Amino acid sequence: MARRKKKSVDEGEVEANLIPVMNVMFLLIPALLLAMEVARFAAINVSPPKFAAQSDQKEEDKKKEEKPLNLKVFVMSDGYRVSASGQQAGAEGGKAADSTKPTIPLAKPGSDLSDFDRYNYEALETEAVKYKKLFPHETVVTISAENDIPLQAIIKTMDALRGRDCTLLNAVSAGEEVPAECLFWSPIVEAGAG
Amino acid sequence: MSDHHANGAAQLAAQQAAQQAFLAKKKAKKAARRNNDIEEGNLNITSLMDVVSIIVVYLLKSYGTDPVVITPTAGQKVPMSRADAPIQDGVPVYVSQRSITFGSQRVVQLDENGDIDPTQVTGQLIGPLFDLMSEEAERSKQTSASKDEPWEGTVILVGDVNLKFSTLVKVMYTAGKAEYSQYAFCVIQLGG
Repeated sequence: MARRKKKSVDEGEVEANLIPVMNVMFLLIPALLLAMEVARFAAINVSPPKFAAQSDQKEEDKKKEEKPLNLKVFVMSDGYRVSASGQQAGAEGGKAADSTKPTIPLAKPGSDLSDFDRYNYEALETEAVKYKKLFPHETVVTISAENDIPLQAIIKTMDALRGRDCTLLNAVSAGEEVPAECLFWSPIVEAGAG
Repeated sequence: MSDHHANGAAQLAAQQAAQQAFLAKKKAKKAARRNNDIEEGNLNITSLMDVVSIIVVYLLKSYGTDPVVITPTAGQKVPMSRADAPIQDGVPVYVSQRSITFGSQRVVQLDENGDIDPTQVTGQLIGPLFDLMSEEAERSKQTSASKDEPWEGTVILVGDVNLKFSTLVKVMYTAGKAEYSQYAFCVIQLGG
């Protein structure tokens, strides 16, 4: 029986021309690097502001009945006004609110609004820890501010109220339980809730 | 005598021919050596190709995992935060100190104090922004309906560090009126 002859190894060994492919690859690398984020972005999920309306007020009243803590933080140009269950912390005896002075004064009195470290974030966090100890299941805080307060100050306020050791990455992306270190991590942004 | 001359000329011609042959051989050897050298220095492109392919795949993968690509407008400073929650899919609204941008379109100009032109605002509603956001909401609702998926109107607010609270509230109110019910503030993760 005749056997088929093996093809010679030397017979026409063709090498693929990889240079054009390499050219495309080298163009793709800077293009993708440019399209990528240089800084790492994150999100703070907030609930929408509520505007004064009859129906909203009724809902608010219902909530007050259900939840004993109704923590509100109002960011003013001279500090924070913190109130819970309708009672402002640090207000004069017998008064629900004391608009003349803030609960937590500025850390840097007399500084400009563009100085984002003018607020006493540590004191606010300490206050939040106190409330969290009293109401361990409470996660909601209503944040409001005066018209001129910059966004960075609001964000830092949210950070302080959330707690410095709070990580929500696994809770949001993997559906895990929110860690116990998280204080008030579910902010409601409200207009003019002073 | 003439024979002697003829012999001399023939010898000379033979010498010249030998010389030329020697030079040609030398040249050929040199050329062969040069060719050999080139072959020896040939780059192995396959390993380089492997490295480049791995880099491209890695970059494509990391690019593909971002649900939304945030590209702040020129001069915009995004606030810094310790928050670490990832950005969910949504529609970004860019609010810099000078303008509000939606869908790569500059919708409203802000004045030097960071306030919106009062002629563009009715109560808390920013008219031009509302029109564009409603249009986009309708479009994405139809897309979700065609895929049999529930529509979740999420808006990602990419603000500036100096954005005033009053302007922020107006943007949020307008988004709410355009049926966007979920809000997220975009921040740069500290230490990220």
